[in-house]
Amino acid sequence: MLISTILSEEKPALVAIPLTIVALGVAPSIVPDSIAISLITVLMYAILTLSWTMFSGPTGYISLATAGLFGVGVYLSAILRDHLPIEVVVLIGGLAAFLVALAIGLLTLKLKGVYFILFTFGVAALIRSSVQWIETRISGTVGRHVAGATNETVYLLLLILFSVTLIASFLLRHSGPGLALQGIGQNQEAAEHIGINVTRVKVVTFALSSALMGMTGAVMATRFRYIDPNVAFNPLISFLPVVMAILGGISKLYGPLLGSVILVALQEWLITEYPYVYLLLFGLTLVVVVVWLPGGLVELTQKGYFRAKVRWIKLRMWITRLRRVRQANRE
Amino acid sequence: MSMLKVQGVSHRFGGLQAVDEAGFEVERGEIVGLIGPNGAGKTTMFNLISGALAVQKGAITFKDEDITRLRPDQISRRGLARTFQTSKLFNGLTAFENIRLGLIYGNPERRFRYEEAEREVNQMMARMGILNDRNRPVRDLSLASRRYLEIARALATNAEMLLLDESMAGLTPKELEQAMQQITRLRDQGLTIFMIEHVMEAIMGVCDRIIVFHFGQKIAEGTPGEIAVDPTVRSVYLGEES
Repeated sequence: MLISTILSEEKPALVAIPLTIVALGVAPSIVPDSIAISLITVLMYAILTLSWTMFSGPTGYISLATAGLFGVGVYLSAILRDHLPIEVVVLIGGLAAFLVALAIGLLTLKLKGVYFILFTFGVAALIRSSVQWIETRISGTVGRHVAGATNETVYLLLLILFSVTLIASFLLRHSGPGLALQGIGQNQEAAEHIGINVTRVKVVTFALSSALMGMTGAVMATRFRYIDPNVAFNPLISFLPVVMAILGGISKLYGPLLGSVILVALQEWLITEYPYVYLLLFGLTLVVVVVWLPGGLVELTQKGYFRAKVRWIKLRMWITRLRRVRQANRE
Repeated sequence: MSMLKVQGVSHRFGGLQAVDEAGFEVERGEIVGLIGPNGAGKTTMFNLISGALAVQKGAITFKDEDITRLRPDQISRRGLARTFQTSKLFNGLTAFENIRLGLIYGNPERRFRYEEAEREVNQMMARMGILNDRNRPVRDLSLASRRYLEIARALATNAEMLLLDESMAGLTPKELEQAMQQITRLRDQGLTIFMIEHVMEAIMGVCDRIIVFHFGQKIAEGTPGEIAVDPTVRSVYLGEES
């Protein structure tokens, strides 16, 4: 079912997805170094935003646990980096985040709306405080140094994770579970009564998308070099993916991607150009988007596309009319 | 063979005994109506059967299998489907997608290829006479179409028995007529139907048997003719002295 649907309905995506991955693969060797470094941040947020959207997009369950899951990956990487190859560390980071998310999922089954949001925010804070407590009381450290990896390695690992996330998001949008998540978001009770095991679909999707967040954290730790709970569990890492997804628009696959690219670019530009008013301008931009573009940039592109189409049709009608008039005159 | 068997089922909401020791059976191929004044516990009974509410006391068997403790999705997959008093559809999806979800998840053992699923969904829509609404978002559908869509989605889960909760409320007289024919047709195609209804005309017209609830208890049971003259029922509905 999957393959034939995709072939019939999603031809542009079949070109766009490989093209995006290839473009990002060759980008570091073409663009200046400063931009190549920003691309690492872009990839990190793109993965976090896409994976956040996998679960929260269709269901409308806004999760603020991202920082907690990301931080679990960061810390495991800091602890294991000296003993294991980085690929293994990343996989373990993902597994740990998967298990934590499984626990969160099973605890929050009955929660909806604002209670779910608060709970996930609380869980992230809880993980952060627990780590802080363990580190100061038991390990006797405030922060940890992480053996770094080269920019090339970090970029390559992130690119692989990004590709996996992008393809997984695409497949999810065209599969039974993807449709089921939408159904759950729109009417959970009805979803249950047509045979959807609501708990399983929700928890599994949440845990799998969280694994991607944990893996991203594990990679990023080697770039941070020095980590402490404030770096690993920075609440902005929970908030920004939500903002990026909303800015870009969650109705299309490219929405979250667009949102993360634009916000990272905006952030980097504002920080360097206007370091003192950066947060002010950043906040202002978000307000503008939420007020005037509730459907995100996707809405804008679709409106643009729609308008262009209407103009094109009008133009054609006008031409046919002109021709008829001419023909009538000749006769 | 009895399709659905409810034995001594009770449910209490705090101080309110919503369903009290209810017991009845529905035979295969029957159309059975469940009537009673507002607050009689009819919808609660449906919620207990379909698993939306946990049964506190008693037992429910469907096709000789105990379903008392099963989750709604498990009950649905066993062939017992329902609709809701205020239709619960996936409003952001098209009519087609609504039914497709029922088809995919109601038949987990069959893995549908896309064309196959499409054919089945179209068939289901044609069966309920809503093929014209195929690609329309659900929020644009008329009340009658929404009701039929909800039934079609329930049917798509490979249902053998349907629980219809006031499917005919708010329909115009003409629509009501069609709906009654439709329900009879579904039965003729082999379905068993158990329906809550307030529209007496509909109940009396299509049901083989009627069960009357009052204060959570079954107070009467019989053919439409018997129920119409039953003194207890008359006193409950019309306040006549019996």
